[in-house]
Amino acid sequence: MKFFIIVLFIFALTFINAQEINWKKQEDAQPAVLNLFHSINAVNLPTAETLQRNEFEYEISHRFNKTVDADKAYFGIDGPATIRMALSYAVTNDLMVTLGRSNQNDNIDFRIKYQAFHFAHETFPVLLALRAGGAWNTEVYEKVTNEERELTDTKNFQYYGQAIFNTMIAKKVGIGIVPSYLYNSHIYCEDPEYSFTMGGYIQYYLSAMFSFFVETNATVTGWREKYNPIAIGVEIETGGHFFKLFLGNSYAMNPSQYLAGADLYMEDGEWRLGFNITRILKF
Amino acid sequence: MKRILSVLFIFCTFIFAEEYHVDKSAKNEVKFISDAPIEDFEGVTGQIDGYLYFKDGDFTKKSQLYFEVDLNSLDTGIGLRNRHMRENYLHTDKYPATYYKGKIIKSDTLAETQVKATTDGVIFIHGVEQPLNVEAILIRDGKQINIQCQFEVKLTDFDIEIPSIMFYKIDETMELHLNFYVQLFEKNE
Repeated sequence: MKFFIIVLFIFALTFINAQEINWKKQEDAQPAVLNLFHSINAVNLPTAETLQRNEFEYEISHRFNKTVDADKAYFGIDGPATIRMALSYAVTNDLMVTLGRSNQNDNIDFRIKYQAFHFAHETFPVLLALRAGGAWNTEVYEKVTNEERELTDTKNFQYYGQAIFNTMIAKKVGIGIVPSYLYNSHIYCEDPEYSFTMGGYIQYYLSAMFSFFVETNATVTGWREKYNPIAIGVEIETGGHFFKLFLGNSYAMNPSQYLAGADLYMEDGEWRLGFNITRILKF
Repeated sequence: MKRILSVLFIFCTFIFAEEYHVDKSAKNEVKFISDAPIEDFEGVTGQIDGYLYFKDGDFTKKSQLYFEVDLNSLDTGIGLRNRHMRENYLHTDKYPATYYKGKIIKSDTLAETQVKATTDGVIFIHGVEQPLNVEAILIRDGKQINIQCQFEVKLTDFDIEIPSIMFYKIDETMELHLNFYVQLFEKNE
């Protein structure tokens, strides 16, 4: 009996010693998040990108009012300028809010962007986001209105909605299409106007740091200032900053103003300089 | 008869192989620290997996180890920077994981439950394997072992372009700090 147990034990031991590693991968590596454009905005139009949860982004932007060929204005940057400041915050990885202010009509802008859909295809990836916002113009000139208007008059408020389609070709060329609807496009009109516009932009990423872009927004129907806005420039990015320097024909930056059109006729060489600088922050 | 069985049982507990798997429910941490001109920055993940295998209660006997880290999960604190790291430097679409495999070649007892182990193996990053010896502290706690180690890797050894922050290149040597837990694997798991 003892002999039998010992033989059995040796046999078992041999079997155990010959066993292989039991470890196996429990799950596949985590798939990376689909990102196409690098920044959350092209120039004035949004991209479908959002910040990551709990991130903030501070923005300061200028549009120099004088054109680049204006006399004694040093390419327009002597000023004056339209200035916008804004702070964005990501509630989740898909949802972010932005509060901004422009000194044009002291326009205060609040907007929400939601990344609704992503399709991670090798050659034709697609991101879709929706953005909605409202603006309150807190400086209204009575000389223009010829009437006394309360600050909280409904004519001082504007609302807009946008759908943002993005794709990226060969990880180099980003393309965006942004149909937009703006209610009360012109705050001085007797009756509320609207604008339906079709925006688009293309960005070519030359390297991890440099890219070039062109952006335009054509009014399809409804009210428009003199011309369709267009901007062309360069983007420089670091791990947390974006610097966008460009030439354009619009002085407006807040969406409720930008979507209503531009004031300069670029074909006559009427360009003005502008920049957007953003910094991502996390506390 | 009972005595023989008891002796064999006790003997078995010493002679059988021990296989430990990464305990994914534990607070595992893999961190890289990079020396940058303005501020140091670091990336952190808890997504480590793998095993440690040895026999007879001796870390060096028939020793095998393999640990891998999911690089897509590395978090530097800023989403955009994570993306730069994934797309421009680590190319995680091609190389989603990094691993270290090898064996323990030496173990020195530091305390009753604490051992300093020296490993001999290779580390794989960005499509390149390089030999690497690591010194680690192993702390036993019942069926769990806490593994702590730190070592340096030179990015250029792995064909990784030196990243830039605000136009300044960061240091080409990165420190890696690992602190994670492995749990004894039992067949009925």
